[in-house]
Amino acid sequence: MSATDVHSAESGPNPQEALVKFTMLLGGVVFLLMMVFGLIMRVAQGDLISLDPEIFYLLLTAHGAGMVGSAALSGAAILWFFSARHLNLRSSIYIAFLGLFLAGVVLILGSIFIGGYGGAWTFLFPLPAMSGGLWEAWAGVMFCVGYLLIGVGFLLYYLELGLKIASRYNGLLGGLGWRYLFANNSTDVPPPTIVAASSVLVFNTIGIVFGAAVLAASIVNLLLPSFEVDPLLAKNAIYFFGHVFINATIYMAITAVYEILPDYTGRPWKSTKLFIGAWAAVVVFVQAVYFHHLLQDVNMPAWTMAVGQIVSYASGVPLIGVTVFSLAVYIKGSGLKWDLPISLLTLGVVGWGLGSIPAMVDGMVSVNKLMHNTQWVPGHFHTYLLLGEVAMAFGFAAWLVRDKAVTILSNLDRLVFRAYVFGGAGFVLIFLWSGASSIPRRWAVHYEQWQLQSQLASGFALIVVLATLVLVVRYVAGLARRSQ
Amino acid sequence: MQLSILLITLGLMGVAGWLILRAVWATEGPSAPKTINRTRSCFLWGMIAVGVVISVGSLREWPHTSAADDALIVNITSGQWWWETDTTEIPLGQQVEFRVTTEDVNHGLGIYDPDMNLVVQVQAMPTYTNKVVHTFDKAGQYQILCMELCGIAHHDMTYDFEVLEQN
Repeated sequence: MSATDVHSAESGPNPQEALVKFTMLLGGVVFLLMMVFGLIMRVAQGDLISLDPEIFYLLLTAHGAGMVGSAALSGAAILWFFSARHLNLRSSIYIAFLGLFLAGVVLILGSIFIGGYGGAWTFLFPLPAMSGGLWEAWAGVMFCVGYLLIGVGFLLYYLELGLKIASRYNGLLGGLGWRYLFANNSTDVPPPTIVAASSVLVFNTIGIVFGAAVLAASIVNLLLPSFEVDPLLAKNAIYFFGHVFINATIYMAITAVYEILPDYTGRPWKSTKLFIGAWAAVVVFVQAVYFHHLLQDVNMPAWTMAVGQIVSYASGVPLIGVTVFSLAVYIKGSGLKWDLPISLLTLGVVGWGLGSIPAMVDGMVSVNKLMHNTQWVPGHFHTYLLLGEVAMAFGFAAWLVRDKAVTILSNLDRLVFRAYVFGGAGFVLIFLWSGASSIPRRWAVHYEQWQLQSQLASGFALIVVLATLVLVVRYVAGLARRSQ
Repeated sequence: MQLSILLITLGLMGVAGWLILRAVWATEGPSAPKTINRTRSCFLWGMIAVGVVISVGSLREWPHTSAADDALIVNITSGQWWWETDTTEIPLGQQVEFRVTTEDVNHGLGIYDPDMNLVVQVQAMPTYTNKVVHTFDKAGQYQILCMELCGIAHHDMTYDFEVLEQN
């Protein structure tokens, strides 16, 4: 197989389709619910409703954990679906992954809404054990165990992917494409999806192992408070895990673009040396960059902060210079006909690329002094999640249930797409503006001079929620139509 | 400063977005020229060159300033949900080294000027003392706000101090 072979063509029914469709339904509904939680928080910050701060922090925790979870679930479903075009994956493994994931979700929801755990999705040590009377230790334990179950599910998922990739492509190095990249061996070059799968399973497995270690330490601390953990070490492990895990969601979802776009353009997304080299860089950068979360922890060695800043910028090079640039080249002059799936998938790549710009800016040590933990931070990550990963996930879902006879944007689809873009762009831009106005993030109550921005953001958020509601209903209707 | 950061960021996002959308919307026009790979190479090397310049320019003088020998030292202790300092009056123009710690969970020390602009911040972490140096160039009432989620009264964890002109 040469580097220019076509990998994107559909090759018969996908054996994982039913499971993946079910997963996307779950993911879509949870996305919508979490958006409603987000809307409630913005409305409360705008003083348009009265919300008990205790409830606010519960919603904040649920919103963070739920959004990261839904992004991970939808990304995993997408990667699994397209990997199954190239590998003989076992459905039983996916069912086990999904079962562990859902068990974890039940525990997390229980810890929040029954146990009152409101320590955010980042479970920053030692907050889970020191709630100030808001929740009991068991709720913190339940939250951490829920995460562990999800982590175990993902390790199982990646183990299956790794085994099948190693078996099919003569080892993981073959799956990464590194023999082609470094030894110029062009036999059996993996398709883009397999390069992505191999890369993600390497860095996300490492990230989850670090996450599991700090979760286990937190659980012991919750049960035996005399067992202490160095808080700086714990913070390093948490942010290493958290950064890698949330980024992995986008790196999994991008495979939908690699595989679906060629159906529209007639131009295969190729595993060139540049492409494989970019992914090799991602494997390193996505792990090394987490230091930018600790730029205000001045006891960290200075070199870690320099690495955090430099790698934050460097991470944008393969994203903008390879992925976004390639998307534009593949589409330009292709004769592509826009419909809802490809519009959302394209939006996902563009939103991801543009969202990396404020992230890179915040990654600078001097800027971070003024922007860290202000609303600038949700500003940049909502750009590459709401207008990035989530758009890709809904694009993939719309493609799964597409009516092949319809190849244009209907009036309803055009309206929904425009509403999603308009609402999403307005929502994230207000976050950036609020960050530049020094408004801190994660505050249940906003001062009067900050409330206008929260009120405007609420309006944009409402538009996004309504557009997403239509996307979910449209998906359910598509599933029903296809099952007839 | 924050306004400049916002405008530069929005400018970069606007230019990048316009360039991408111009290509993406041109589905019916000509395909990318055969020289596109050379263009991409130039673009990638350009990004790397810009990155080197920015990195050297912004890190050559280390952003976390060290305190001079005559700096005023202010110790700050924190906890759920309070701040405590050595002094509530700081002279204008005097370099100050804040030494910040916490007795329980992580907090974030954010110092806001009288116009509610964040002027400097540092994390407060149990068992560690984090130092941050700042020279105040505007007199008036300043506020400390908590920048790290620390529980139910996170948003109420504030503290006032004065920056006074020296006579």
